[in-house]
Amino acid sequence: MKAKRLIWAIAMVASTLTEIAAPTPSQWEQPAANLAEQVAEILGPGQARLAIRNLSTVSTDEIPAIRRLLEQDLKTRGVLASDAEGANTVRVTLSENVRERLWVAEVVEGNETRVAMVRVEPGTAQQSQPKSGLALRKQVAITTNEAVLAALEIAGGLVTIQPEEIVIYGHAAEGWREQKRVGIGQKKPLPRDPRGIILPSANGSGFEVSVAGMVCSGSYLPAQPAGDWTVLCCESDDPWTIVQPPVAQTGSATQGTATQMDVSVTPMKAFYNAARNYFTGVVNFSLGVDLPPFYSAAQIIRSASSAPLLIGGIDGKVQILEGSALKPVAGTRDWGSDFAALHSGCGAGMQIVVSGSGEAAGDSLRAYELPAQEAFPASASLAMDGTVTALWTAPDGNSVFAVVHGAADQYEVDRVTALCN
Amino acid sequence: MRWTVLRRFAISCFVALLALPATARTRPHYGGTLRVEIEGEPWQRPRGLARRMVLDGLTTMNADGTARPALAVDWKSENDNHRWQFRLRPGVHFHDGSPLTSPSVVASLNAVCGTNCPWTAIHAVGSSVVFTSDSPMPNLPELLAADEYLVALTVASDGTTPAGVVGTGPFQVTGFMNGVLMLTANDSSWQGRPFADAVELHVHRSIRDQWLDLSIGRADLVEVPVEQLRQAQQQRLTVVASPPVTLLALSVTDSGALGNPKLRAAIALAVDRSALYNVIFQKQGEVTASLLPAALTGYSFFFPTERDLNKAHELRGGLTPPPLTLAAEGDPAMQLAAQRIALNLREAGFTVQVVNAGAAQHADLFLRRLPLESSQPQAALESMLRGAGLAAPVLEQTPAGLYRIERDSLESHTLIPLLDLPRAYAVGGRIRDLHLSPDGTPQLAAASLEDAP
Repeated sequence: MKAKRLIWAIAMVASTLTEIAAPTPSQWEQPAANLAEQVAEILGPGQARLAIRNLSTVSTDEIPAIRRLLEQDLKTRGVLASDAEGANTVRVTLSENVRERLWVAEVVEGNETRVAMVRVEPGTAQQSQPKSGLALRKQVAITTNEAVLAALEIAGGLVTIQPEEIVIYGHAAEGWREQKRVGIGQKKPLPRDPRGIILPSANGSGFEVSVAGMVCSGSYLPAQPAGDWTVLCCESDDPWTIVQPPVAQTGSATQGTATQMDVSVTPMKAFYNAARNYFTGVVNFSLGVDLPPFYSAAQIIRSASSAPLLIGGIDGKVQILEGSALKPVAGTRDWGSDFAALHSGCGAGMQIVVSGSGEAAGDSLRAYELPAQEAFPASASLAMDGTVTALWTAPDGNSVFAVVHGAADQYEVDRVTALCN
Repeated sequence: MRWTVLRRFAISCFVALLALPATARTRPHYGGTLRVEIEGEPWQRPRGLARRMVLDGLTTMNADGTARPALAVDWKSENDNHRWQFRLRPGVHFHDGSPLTSPSVVASLNAVCGTNCPWTAIHAVGSSVVFTSDSPMPNLPELLAADEYLVALTVASDGTTPAGVVGTGPFQVTGFMNGVLMLTANDSSWQGRPFADAVELHVHRSIRDQWLDLSIGRADLVEVPVEQLRQAQQQRLTVVASPPVTLLALSVTDSGALGNPKLRAAIALAVDRSALYNVIFQKQGEVTASLLPAALTGYSFFFPTERDLNKAHELRGGLTPPPLTLAAEGDPAMQLAAQRIALNLREAGFTVQVVNAGAAQHADLFLRRLPLESSQPQAALESMLRGAGLAAPVLEQTPAGLYRIERDSLESHTLIPLLDLPRAYAVGGRIRDLHLSPDGTPQLAAASLEDAP
C-alpha cells in the first residue's frame, strides 16, 4: 500500500515537473520557420551542415526539438541538413537580451559569412503554488501605462482613478476600451505617492471618489442616446470612507453576497493628510480611544457581536481596536502597510489579505487570520508582478483589488479571490 | 535531562520572541535630510548627481527602454519622422515660479545642443515644441530622455540670467556652502513631492572619506568606483549596482601614422581586454568588442574579444610607426588602464607614451568612457555614435540592421570597445527604496529615510 502511494506520489511529482519544464512546441515553431526562411533565401536549394549553440536560458533539453524544427523547415524550403564535406555551414546561435530571445544564423559560403536574425518572444514561466488551507488567485482586471490609484467595476464598466484624472472604460471585444476621461482639477500639489479610494454610490449606479483635497461623484445617465457618465469634482477635506458594509447589506449588490452578512459593519470615515500618504487618526465618531496616524484599516468580523478594527500605523505597528483598547498584534513581521478584509467563506470565514514588504521588484499577497491578537498565515504567498501600491476590499466583500506597479512601469489592477482547499 | 530542559527553555524563548509584536514594513515616510557624498562635480555632464534631482527632460526612460512622458505629455511624428511635435505638460513651473513654456524649452535645448544635435531646428509652436531635421529622427523621444537634454531655465522672468541652476525637478537648489550643495524638496513638483525634505550633496570628497563617513553614519549614499566594487563588498558595505551603463573604449585617430587602417586593426588585436577586466577593473562589468552590451542586443558574440598578438604583428607588416601618444580620462583606474594598454601595444611592436589627460585632444589614442544613454538599443546606439563623433541617425529597427550598423562603425577601428562597466553606490542603514535609473543614476526623489519623523 505504501509502495503504491509512493509510486503515485513520484508519478504526480514527475508529471508536475514535466508540465512545468516541458517545451511548448508552438513556442518555437514560428521563430524556427522564420529563421529557416531567411537562411533558405541566402543559401538557395542545396545541402547545409547545421550547428547549434545555446547562449540563452533555453534549456539544453529543448535543443533537439529546436534542431528538428529547423531541419524540417529548411527541408521544406529546399535546404537539406547534411554532414557532407562540401555542404555549406549554417551556425545557429540561440541568444537573448533583457527583453527577448534572439536566434542568429551565420551562413558560411566559402569566405563569406552572411547573417540572419529573428526575435523570439520570451516564454512565460508557469507558477506553482503550494497547497494550504486557502489559495489566493488573481485575475488581471486592466493593465495600463498610467499610474492607477484605485479602480471599481460598476454598471458594466470599469472606473480607474489616476493622480489627476478619472478614466471610465466600457466593455469591448478586445477588453476594456476607454470611454471617458475627466480631469480631477487638483489645485494643491500632490505627494510623491498619492492615494485615492473609489466606492459605489448609495444607489449602486454611480461612484464616489476621494483623492487628496478633492471629492468626485460620477453618475450614469442611461437616458442619453448611448448612455453617458457625468463626473463632478470639487475641493473637499471631508474624511474618506475606510470601512463600509458589503454592498449586499445595503440592498444594492450586483455581484453576489458575502458570508456573515448578518453582522453589522459600521461605516467609518477617516481624515486623510492630503500632503502626505496617511490617515491622521481622526475618525468620524468616537471610538473611546485616539487612533494613531495610520496607512490602512480593516474591520475583522469574528462574530455577530465582535468586529474589531485593525490599524496599520505609520510607525509600522499593527494594532487591533477591541472595545476601547488598542492592542498590538503579533505575527506581522512580514507585513507591508497595505491590507484589506476578504470574506472568503473559507476557514474562519474572513481573512486579511496583506501586501509584502513592498520593496522588492516582485511583491506578494498573503491571507492571514486573526483569531485573537496574533496573525496566522492562512494561505501561501501569491507572487505579484511588481510592487503592490494599493489594496482594498471589493464592494461585495468577496474579493480584494490590488494595484501593482510593474518593473516596466506598467500598472495592473488585479482582482484577488480565495479558493478553499 | 538537564540539556533537554535547557533546550526546551531555549526553544520556548525563541517561539515567544517570534510571537512578540514585530514592526511591519510601512509605506515610505516623508521628511528628513539625505546626505550624499560624491568625488566629482554635481553638475558634471553626463550624470552629475544633482542634474536629475533638479532638472527634468521632455521625456524619461522606462525600464524597458521606451520613452515615457515627462515635461512633454505626448508627441507625434510627421513627414516620415522628419518632424516631431512634443506637447508640454500644462501647469509646470520652474523653481523660481516662472511657468514652463515652449520658448523656455527651446532656449534651454539650444543652449546645450550645438551642431551635434539629432535635429536641425527647434521651434516653439503654441504649447508645443517642434523639432525638424533633414534626416529622419525615429528615435527622438528616446534620445530626449538623455541627460544632456534636461531642461534648465536660461532666462528668468525678469529677463536676467538665473544665478544658479533652475529647473522643474523634484528638488531645488537653495545654496552652496563649504563644499555642500543644499537641495530642498519641491513641494510643487509635477511628479509629486519627494519623500525627503532635503538633500545635502557633499562634493569633492575622496572615496576613502566617503566610505569613512558612511561607516560612522555621517553619509547615507556614497560612490563606489567600479574597480573598488569588490573591496566594498568585502567591507560589507550595502552596494547597489546597475547593469553595464558605460562603455570603456579606445579612440584611435585616423590621421598621421595611424591613417593606415592595418595599423589601427593591429592595435585593436593587440589590446588585452582580459587583463583590463581581471587586473584593473577587478572582474567587474563585461569584456566587449561591441558598442552595445550583450544584454541590450543579444548579438555581441559576433565581435571577437580575444587578443591575437601574432595577427597584430602580421598586420603591422614590419612597419615601425613613429611613437604614439595615449591619453586617458582623469581618474587613477583609467590611468592604470592606459599604462596597461601601452604595455600591450609595445608587445605588438608599437612605441607608446602615456600623456596626461590635458593632452587628449592631440593624442593618437584616447581611453575614454562613453555613457550608455538609453536602454532602447536604437537610441543607445545613436547617442553612442554621436558621443564618439561617428554621428549617424540610426534608422534600422531590426537586430540584424543594428548589427550591420555596429559592424560598419567599428570596421575602421577608430573606436575600439573594451569593457562594459556598471555604476555603483553604497547606502547606509537609514535609506530605503533606493533604486537606480536605467542609466545608473540613483533615484533620490523616490528614496526615503527610515527614521524620518
